Amino acid sequence: MSHILEIRNLKINYGVHEAVHGLDMDIAEGKITAIIGSNGAGKTTIINAISGIVKREGTVIYRGRPLTQKAHRVVREGVVQVPEGRRVFAGLSVEENLRLGAYTVRDKKQIQKLLEQQYELFPRLEERKRQDAGTLSGGEQQMLAISRGLMSHPRVLMLDEPSLGLAPVIVEDVFNHIKRICEDGVTIILVEQNAKKTLSICDYGYVIENGRKVMEGNGSDLLENEEVQYAYLGVDRQEDPQDP
Amino acid sequence: MDLQLLISGISLGAVYALVAVGYAVVFSVLKFSNFAHGGMISACAYMGYYFQRAFPAPPPFYVTLLFSAFAGVALSFLIDTIAYRRLRKQQSPAIYYFLASIAISILIVNLLSIFFGKNLYAFPPIFTSTTFYIGSIRFSSIDTLILFVSLAILTFLILLINRTRIGLAIRSVAINSQTSRLMGVNPDVTIMTVFAIAGALAGISGVLLAMKLSVYPTLGSQMMLKGFVASVVGGLGSLGGAIIAAIFLGVIEIYITYYLGSLSTPIVTFGLMLIFLAVRPVGVAGKFAQEKV
Repeated sequence: MSHILEIRNLKINYGVHEAVHGLDMDIAEGKITAIIGSNGAGKTTIINAISGIVKREGTVIYRGRPLTQKAHRVVREGVVQVPEGRRVFAGLSVEENLRLGAYTVRDKKQIQKLLEQQYELFPRLEERKRQDAGTLSGGEQQMLAISRGLMSHPRVLMLDEPSLGLAPVIVEDVFNHIKRICEDGVTIILVEQNAKKTLSICDYGYVIENGRKVMEGNGSDLLENEEVQYAYLGVDRQEDPQDP
Repeated sequence: MDLQLLISGISLGAVYALVAVGYAVVFSVLKFSNFAHGGMISACAYMGYYFQRAFPAPPPFYVTLLFSAFAGVALSFLIDTIAYRRLRKQQSPAIYYFLASIAISILIVNLLSIFFGKNLYAFPPIFTSTTFYIGSIRFSSIDTLILFVSLAILTFLILLINRTRIGLAIRSVAINSQTSRLMGVNPDVTIMTVFAIAGALAGISGVLLAMKLSVYPTLGSQMMLKGFVASVVGGLGSLGGAIIAAIFLGVIEIYITYYLGSLSTPIVTFGLMLIFLAVRPVGVAGKFAQEKV
């Protein structure tokens, strides 16, 4: 199995405070890799560092070459982040948001094609393409944020807490879409607090605590791991593992 | 009579709009009040004036306007390099930019005073006749020219901001600069574009104001104040709001000058601004940008 991203000894400092302390991770091409952990563990910091939004030390190898630290060039290379809390551009229309996602694409025909793909994936967005993105519901904004990320035709899509603040039905929808995007050949890095759902769809997972990797493994293995169940899935140690 | 006043007012307001937009576009992206804009207008007015006089046969008006626009862009980049770039690198708070911009503005006014004195220079006339008639109505040639030039440039700018890729990038940076970087927008390119737009506008409005009012060191800072009023009333950072407010401001000023005399105009315009802000603090456009001035 080939790795599209190889992260070695990643360190991230916020001023004097070190947030991530020497992390190694491998991201398999065409798969869903999950990064789970509690709030403040440093999950978002890790993908922000890959995106070039925060400074990093250590090496990030992308398709055999070191990845640039300039945020706008990371996008051009095909590594795209869908930020936490959606952060759609309120004040711009839905279509303008999507076009902004395709900022790195120069070919107008290609942009039109990408737009049509997104509208096919989420017909809701086409119905509302002239509407101010800030007026969409939470679920629609998440769909828009994901579509916006896809507009640059990424190889790697990093999703930060896509289930945050969404109703369970909508969460189900979002995760199904993520699986579909992966089946279309896009490598997914999924950062989530919703460990159960995430581990059930991911191929491989990393558990991060206090800026350190505490565990890694296949999604199904982690899901059955007693430590993970206790810390993230709300399963009591005393309980019979067969009856969670 | 009333129609002439109205046209004169709209023409003045359209120039105020150029000033206000030059100020507002920088504010929307960099979130600070660029008071150096006034200084740039003065400097460009002088450059336009000397360019116009440098040739035995005066060059056509649009050449001077173009020259001044390019000079404005160059000056804008120079000011950015001297005053703002390092602040940006160190991610300094907005108040640093504010102070730097005031310092630059004062510096330019005083440099101009030292080299050219505080005299008023009349801009060489463009037209042989100062007025023309359509039917029985008399129009001022200069006012009409200024009106058309300003409206053309404002239209161009609105299309640039609303219909082009770089315009979309500027709007996205104005809304959220970090998220725009995640879209692949290069913030440095966007900031340079914004300074280029502001510089070109300073150049054009400098020459237009010089034609209307003559050239003197504080020309720009006085006009900057009007532009500032317009963009605050329009809703800081909103281009459409600033343009509407600027044109209203111009019309109100002309009418007040005509009926009450020029001394009472500042009292009335600033009074109106205060009342307006008390009633509607978010401005015409209704968007309230935090961390003002």
